[in-house]
Amino acid sequence: MIYEVFLKRDGRDEFRHVGALDAADDELAMLSARECYVRRGEGDRLWVIQRTHILVDDGDLIAPNADKPHRHHSGEAVAQRRREARERA
Amino acid sequence: MTALDPAIAEVVLAFADDEHLMGQNHTEWIGVAPFLEEDLAYASIGQDELGHAAMLYATVLDSDEDAEIDRLAFFRQPDAYRSCSFVEWELRNWSDALVRHFMYDTAEELRWKLFVDSSNPRLQAAAERALSEERFHRRHAEALIDNLMRDQEAASRLHSSATKLSALAETMFSSVPGETQAVAVGICAAPFASQLEQWRDATSLRFGDLVWQPDTSRASRNQRHEDFAALHQRINTVFDLDRAAVW
Repeated sequence: MIYEVFLKRDGRDEFRHVGALDAADDELAMLSARECYVRRGEGDRLWVIQRTHILVDDGDLIAPNADKPHRHHSGEAVAQRRREARERA
Repeated sequence: MTALDPAIAEVVLAFADDEHLMGQNHTEWIGVAPFLEEDLAYASIGQDELGHAAMLYATVLDSDEDAEIDRLAFFRQPDAYRSCSFVEWELRNWSDALVRHFMYDTAEELRWKLFVDSSNPRLQAAAERALSEERFHRRHAEALIDNLMRDQEAASRLHSSATKLSALAETMFSSVPGETQAVAVGICAAPFASQLEQWRDATSLRFGDLVWQPDTSRASRNQRHEDFAALHQRINTVFDLDRAAVW
């Protein structure tokens, strides 16, 4: 079975995907992840998950959101309105 | 730190040589293990064993000087090594190597436990460090073997390997003359051979009833296995390019 491996450092860092491995069961997956991905202390916490347990989108679910320029802004308009409001106050 | 009495130092040297050669054997699976995960696991576990060997050589020398540790680890004549035949044996079959991994790490964990309360501070610290790693080495071997034992063909091959390895496995427990003295002054809690029955029980638990066929002619740590010379040469391949080189 294929497992995906994630590591994080203690503190505010988030878990990051570091790779995958093939293992016969969960115990071997955890032990293999330890030897394959954390042998030089690359992380402080380890997540290992069977690839088949990951929910995967079908592409259509998020594709429309790639083309919505009206949702992007630099914040300048809001900042300008705040400046004007301060000056009026 | 405290320098060891020469007779007692032989006890630590025997352990160091076992760790060194076992580590070397593990690392030789790099690039040729049956699958990538085990390729990396063997290399990683082998490096841990080499680390244990370095701590033990440092204890023998009462020095952390790398050049001195290298000299002791690599440049002795064969008759000055105190390793057991089991770790000098060249095993090119993956099934044999896996069973040796299990047998060695099960024994090694029992061996380190004898040094947890050592009167020598270096050994006490080394035991704490090594035991934190060993439980994972043993779990790795056990998890892999337990999986394979569910398959009839794999179980048959592993059982054959265990029977074959039983010829030399117990040489791990062979003592050196200073062991009685080492126990008397608290360097270790008991002779390593006192753990033999516990180790046999753990081995039987995994492989069922084995017909133990120990080769008692190879029990002494003063004699080298016929595979030692080639192993020693492989270990020193890079050093021998230029022993005076500075890396």
